Amino acid sequence: MDTPLFLMGNEAIAYGAARAGAGFACAYPGTPSTEIIETAAGLGGIHAQWCVNEKVALETAVGCSRAGVRTLVAMKHVGLNVAADPLLTLTETGVNGGLVIVSSDDPGMNSSQNEQDSRHYARFAKIPMLEPSNSQEAYDFVAEAFAISEEFDTPVLLRSSTKLSHGRGQVVQGERLEPERIEYVKDITKHLMVPQWARLRTRFIIERLQRLRERSESSPLNVLLEGTADFGIISSGVVHQYAREAFPEAWHLKLGLSYPPPYHKIADLYERVSRVFVVEELDPFIEDHVRMLGLPVVGKEAIPADGELEPDVVFAALEPYLATEPPQRRSPVFPPAPRLAEPAPESELPVRPPVLCPGCRHRSVFTALKRHKLAAMGDIGCYMLGADPPLNALDSSLCMGASIGMMAGFNQALGRKAAAAVIGDSTFFHSGITPLISASYNEADGLVMILDNRTTAMTGHQGTPGSGVRPDLTEGPAITIQELCEGIHVRCTTIDAKDYQAIVDGIKTEVATPGLGVIVAQAPCALLVREKNGTVLVDDERCNLCGLCLAIGCPAIAPQADTVSITEVCTGCGLCVEVCKRGALTLSLGEEAS
Amino acid sequence: MSATSDTTTVALIGVGGQGILLAAAILAETASAEGLEVKASEVHGMAQRGGSVLSTVRFGPRVFSPVFRRPDYVIATELLEGFRGLDMLGEGGTLVCAATTRILPGSVLRREQPYPDDLAAAAGARGIGLLAVDAEGLAREAGTVRAVNVALMGAASSVFPFAAESWQRGLEKAVPAKIFAVNEKAFSLGRDSVVTPA
Repeated sequence: MDTPLFLMGNEAIAYGAARAGAGFACAYPGTPSTEIIETAAGLGGIHAQWCVNEKVALETAVGCSRAGVRTLVAMKHVGLNVAADPLLTLTETGVNGGLVIVSSDDPGMNSSQNEQDSRHYARFAKIPMLEPSNSQEAYDFVAEAFAISEEFDTPVLLRSSTKLSHGRGQVVQGERLEPERIEYVKDITKHLMVPQWARLRTRFIIERLQRLRERSESSPLNVLLEGTADFGIISSGVVHQYAREAFPEAWHLKLGLSYPPPYHKIADLYERVSRVFVVEELDPFIEDHVRMLGLPVVGKEAIPADGELEPDVVFAALEPYLATEPPQRRSPVFPPAPRLAEPAPESELPVRPPVLCPGCRHRSVFTALKRHKLAAMGDIGCYMLGADPPLNALDSSLCMGASIGMMAGFNQALGRKAAAAVIGDSTFFHSGITPLISASYNEADGLVMILDNRTTAMTGHQGTPGSGVRPDLTEGPAITIQELCEGIHVRCTTIDAKDYQAIVDGIKTEVATPGLGVIVAQAPCALLVREKNGTVLVDDERCNLCGLCLAIGCPAIAPQADTVSITEVCTGCGLCVEVCKRGALTLSLGEEAS
Repeated sequence: MSATSDTTTVALIGVGGQGILLAAAILAETASAEGLEVKASEVHGMAQRGGSVLSTVRFGPRVFSPVFRRPDYVIATELLEGFRGLDMLGEGGTLVCAATTRILPGSVLRREQPYPDDLAAAAGARGIGLLAVDAEGLAREAGTVRAVNVALMGAASSVFPFAAESWQRGLEKAVPAKIFAVNEKAFSLGRDSVVTPA
């Protein structure tokens, strides 16, 4: 047998990721999590990279996961706050290749500005949380986390803390796993979180949590260790080792899969002993669950709620209680499964989802982009409406600014320009710049389409740094996206979105050019300018109802028996005229309606 | 009347861009002018881009919640949305609908789904009172087809027990000055179009 490796917890996590067949790992450095990526970078098979922040790191990881590759993303506890936006929607979309988020807490603030208990994020996001208690478990649990992630279609939180991350112990390596890359299949009902689909996924995650509760009960990660004394201790993470050293005679319920907690295993401990303690650092996370079951427990009244613990601290805190009368026996009360809202009754009436406005010139971008077989990572704003039929032009949408990171991760995982990002100008200013910098720094391949209508259209045309318009409608300096991209050395072309051929040519050139490129498509919001350029006339003789004009998804074009008709909402933008190959459509300028 | 109180619930539904918010504001301001407590709920954002939109106005001597699942009245600014209103209403409810306004959704344009027909029969079968209004014609007569919302509100005014002066105050408070004249005319044409309240 090989001599065990003597590994820091963070190193063990990286080794565990390599063993589990992770293909990609990323992070923004943060004590006590930093060595995970540094170690991963030295282990063959994992593409490791720094991203500009934890939000971008998680979004990049989502792109890799979508591409079907097992991916690990690491951060310190406060980094999880930065990544909370993608996390809280990623829980809805779930994963393709397994996705494990390592968050390392810093009780005692050895190197942090706050003392924050990341475990609450597991409950907040309704995702499973694993808490290894030593280096061996740090190594072993990563493979388990990936397996749970793929089985339950969920991101998994692997929570560490300073003394695990920076503690060392022996690790016996397991057999290397060789997971197959899971093929990406476009499915907007799972990957594109507009209200229509997100409502369904919300129900999915509530049901998923119930299934995870069952797994928590049966998982070998949650283990009851028999003792000789008449008291038990519930704990998780490195703190379990402190409790075990302080009280080797006690019964120990070690929660390796600590969220959702195994209520029945907890109740079972109460069958074995007359007194139970919860030992945990920071908040009464496990203790709250035990109390919710109606069971008597000693927790934060004895164990300090701030700072780090040590075995002797735990001993001194609990030892006096052993001389007191044990509490009265009580039966647990298990919480019932939550009820879901009644789904709206089935209706035969046609649905009326929101649509891309007639006359919206950014429709040309979707029409042109569809000529190429690219997974289109969308973003938050009206252009999300390009996902609906008949355009069907988007694959994915997560949270503000996520498109570019997802594109970069997807392309890096597949090693080619397989995805594009589609983002609006206001969303780009919100949080699209940082992932663009990250993609550039990491030499990611990709095409970023910035649909610039110089306003925040979806919310009602508020000002942006691109327009300079303030809430009181005064104007400040305006920032040019082209100059901004040049400033960070990203190739950028600005094109008038009214010029369909230029958009087609620009995208064609970018798709064929290696590396990262941006196209800014400029046209004002159709609702803002309310231009009525004219209308479109149909030559019924020439029209053969081929469907090219219908495919642009304009609400002004309606198919008839063997031709199309143009309704009065037509603004005369002329895009349909340009896509028609039979010359059946002509633009009639001026106000006269058809 | 709702199941729990003497509060009246009115759902205003239509297609994003039709001015549901303005119609709701006129009703709310009018009820307020009558000395009632009023609460309202509005839909903003994505749904406004040509999608189905819903605003709720509730009034009575004492109103707690701004929302209620089953309305007493539905005011629909488009025919298909009027059909949807039937699904919202219970027996004995009342639908006021701009029955000549048809805005075809994508699935109908693409001929995947039929646009429904015969609202009167559907309402009758469910025991729902119907006031069908040619709000589009009235709005055109007033000067702009965009005033369908206010013309319809004018017709709907006949089903609520509010004084004409209250409606006038509601209009004045809710309608912006630069589009007031045409909307006042649309409202008045709508109100006059209803001879006998439904």
